[in-house]
Amino acid sequence: MMQHSTISSSMNSPALEIQNLSVRFGDAETGATIIDDVSLKVKSGEILGLVGESGSGKSVTCLAALGLLGGSWHTEGKVRLQSSHGQESMNSKQLISVRGRDIAMIFQDATASLNPIKKIGKQLTNTVIRLQGIGKSKAKQVALELLRRVEMADPEECLHSYPFQMSGGQNQRVMIALALAGNPSLLLADEPTTALDVIVQSQILKLISSLRNRTGMGVVFVTHDLGVVNEICDTVAVMYAGSIVESGTVQQIMESPRHPYTKGLIDSMPTLKGNLPDGIEGQVPAPKHRHWGCAFSPRCVKAESDCARSKPIRTVLDETHSIACFHPLTDKEVTKAPRTKVDLTNVKKNDDPVPLLFLENASCDYATRKGKFRAVSDITISLRFGESLALIGESGSGKSTVGKLILGVEASSEGKAHFEGKKVPLLGTAEHREFARSVQLIPQNPYLSFDPRVTIGAQIEEPLDIHRIGSARERHQRRNELLDAVGLTAAHGDRYPHQVSGGQCQRAVIARALILEPKLLICDEATASLDVSVQARIIDLLRELQIKFHLSLVFITHDLRLVRSVCNRVAVLRSGKLVEENEIESLFLKPQHQYTQELLASVPDIPAERKNRNG
Amino acid sequence: MGKMILIKILRAMTTLFLVVTFVFFVLRITGDPVSAMMPDDTDPAIMDELRKQWGLDRPLGIQYIEYWRNLAQGDFGITYRDGRPALDTVLERIPATLKLSVSSFLFVLIAGFPLGVLAAINRGSSIDRLVMALSVTGFSLPNFFLGILLILILSVQFRLLPAFGSGHWYNLIMPVITLGTAGAAVIAKFVRSSMLEVLNAPYIRAARARGATEKSIIWTIALPNAAIPVITVIGFMVGTLIGGSIVTETVFAWPGIGRLLIDAVTSRELSVVQTVVMMIAASMVIANLTVDILYLVIDPRQRFASGSGE
Repeated sequence: MMQHSTISSSMNSPALEIQNLSVRFGDAETGATIIDDVSLKVKSGEILGLVGESGSGKSVTCLAALGLLGGSWHTEGKVRLQSSHGQESMNSKQLISVRGRDIAMIFQDATASLNPIKKIGKQLTNTVIRLQGIGKSKAKQVALELLRRVEMADPEECLHSYPFQMSGGQNQRVMIALALAGNPSLLLADEPTTALDVIVQSQILKLISSLRNRTGMGVVFVTHDLGVVNEICDTVAVMYAGSIVESGTVQQIMESPRHPYTKGLIDSMPTLKGNLPDGIEGQVPAPKHRHWGCAFSPRCVKAESDCARSKPIRTVLDETHSIACFHPLTDKEVTKAPRTKVDLTNVKKNDDPVPLLFLENASCDYATRKGKFRAVSDITISLRFGESLALIGESGSGKSTVGKLILGVEASSEGKAHFEGKKVPLLGTAEHREFARSVQLIPQNPYLSFDPRVTIGAQIEEPLDIHRIGSARERHQRRNELLDAVGLTAAHGDRYPHQVSGGQCQRAVIARALILEPKLLICDEATASLDVSVQARIIDLLRELQIKFHLSLVFITHDLRLVRSVCNRVAVLRSGKLVEENEIESLFLKPQHQYTQELLASVPDIPAERKNRNG
Repeated sequence: MGKMILIKILRAMTTLFLVVTFVFFVLRITGDPVSAMMPDDTDPAIMDELRKQWGLDRPLGIQYIEYWRNLAQGDFGITYRDGRPALDTVLERIPATLKLSVSSFLFVLIAGFPLGVLAAINRGSSIDRLVMALSVTGFSLPNFFLGILLILILSVQFRLLPAFGSGHWYNLIMPVITLGTAGAAVIAKFVRSSMLEVLNAPYIRAARARGATEKSIIWTIALPNAAIPVITVIGFMVGTLIGGSIVTETVFAWPGIGRLLIDAVTSRELSVVQTVVMMIAASMVIANLTVDILYLVIDPRQRFASGSGE
């Protein structure tokens, strides 16, 4: 049974202290251990970043602190909160009274976290009445005041709106206002900016930071993005497979990580400076299949035989910095810079005067109930053989629609879309069949692009079946060649999509796209749903394949950090219009358009330099 | 929103028109009221005379136009047997049917919703299993069988309730259970699955994180959201109730339009059958219209998605 208790209020006392938290799912004895002996402390006015790949237990830790895990979860350990109640331990009823008042939480998908059928004003007022015990008319004023505190553009209007009428960023502000309604001393923020566009993300981060300054509340900020951590956090705890492997100040973690996993995560991050992300081999093990001893050892570059024998205990490096590792990185290893500067010169280019891809003043309209909506307007882009072009933009910028124009999924309403000098045929026509052999798509969610009931191998072969290429044996052989090329084995071909990890599944999607030997690959947010450690390796793969198969790439993404290491040229889109297009180096170093400058300034980036301990 | 409702009303009128037309022709094609009413050995000349008198000898098309002309003047035709206006015959039966179907409808909601909620919040427990077992049983029992079963047990065996009659409130108990059980079972099942889905929604977790009590979460947040998909089912339910009332009224000798319809069909009282069917169709159409409008009222997303929001 978990004990919740409160710490009597005083300055500098921890806003939250978790001691030896363990969480099991399923049966109390035999169930899977999700969280294994986690201890952490957040001081008042401090922002702690809780980072790690998906499945490392970050969110579960937060939910356990709130006592919000359901009946199938068993928690042990102590959770102490700063509170004026002065109680020593809490039962579930007292926990309810603590939630919202002493400790509040905000979530990733703000729009889905608000009651869809009630006006925001009503939701806020009800919460204020409940948490502050004041009358209705007073509560309305408080609600308005809260919306002002979260810097809502038009608080009056917001009160009378439903969540679905607001943007994701506005709803996240509403969520924060709701969280502030009880004047909590601790805010748990579970990936609150992950679903937001980069400029909005930057605004929300600033808001959280300034609210912390004004109220002095402690914040636990869960994120997988080390750039965000670097931007907003004071201290960091790195989690892997349910344990904290390293913790320290943000400077210690970002500049001199000692745990190989922490460094792996940092090296996986693409940066604006164009570091080639490095990735980590393997994947986070499922709780039931965690390695005995150090759970990270199977993926660790420094693993030795003793790593498998027992679980490393937490060692203190200095007052603020501690790790759980038998073989911490040495100064030399820490400062070893990640691979830098991408060399795309060995990509075969030709000087064919006809560009591979040419969009000229292309526009695309969608029919809506209210008439035509122009998703893309007057865009001119050209791409030569062997080049790779990044299409950058926030949601709604029309970047995916440009992808559809190139793929022939949509026809241009005005202007033209040409591939190798010929008009791009529309999907469904006989010409498109032939065209599709040259242009292939890698979509965001690999699991959705496979039929769940057919083995991966059979689906990789399918394009050959459709185009009647080769005998059954040749097709099979070609399938295995491609599985090998994307870093999978023939055995993966016999599995079903749900039996492989997200990264492996995306590799299989790439293999399928390559089997017809296309000239152009459209990657539409192809790595957005993957962990950074996996993303880095997929990026690596794409670069390798680009050279090996003489591919041209169109890389559609919202993440500016990603493109610097992959593309030669970049086009920035906003509200369907082309804002700026340039060689990648020029655009990153000297952005011309104000919007591009704003985008670049909003990107949370990690520091370029590593220091050794004494540095 | 006003325009949407207008379109829905126009659609409803079209449905009504089609139903009336269909019933008109089907009734006239399938049998002759005169030969059904008179003894087999009646003089054919008399039968022809009667047909002429009631206008049944004229071409169908003419009869149809005539029928609409009369309808427009509020004339629903007369009964062949006693020459009374068909509308009066039907109207005097309506209160009894209304009493039965409205009570049953309330029973469906009052039993179905709480049982569904109860099962959902106790998911996987014995309460959940019991409610679901009851639901399957309730839905599977044909209502005439349930009615007879109730009569056998409550009236014949234990003599607690009268087997027929309609004067007292307790006369309603058995017919209402008979008519409403299947509906309540369906509603309980739908409310349960809808609730389970909603209880997993991020906004429920967020409300818990703000310290809302479980009771207020279930009744003020989860249930209104869970009710939205159930409303469609409630629309269908009204149809089932009206259809079921024909059988139930027969079993319990309830003096409503259901029994009137059965009698009228067997004696081929064309005007009465047409009027009853029109009433039933109208009530279904009105029920569905109400459901559609209710949708717009409860779910703001529907209201604004219609493109003519506030």
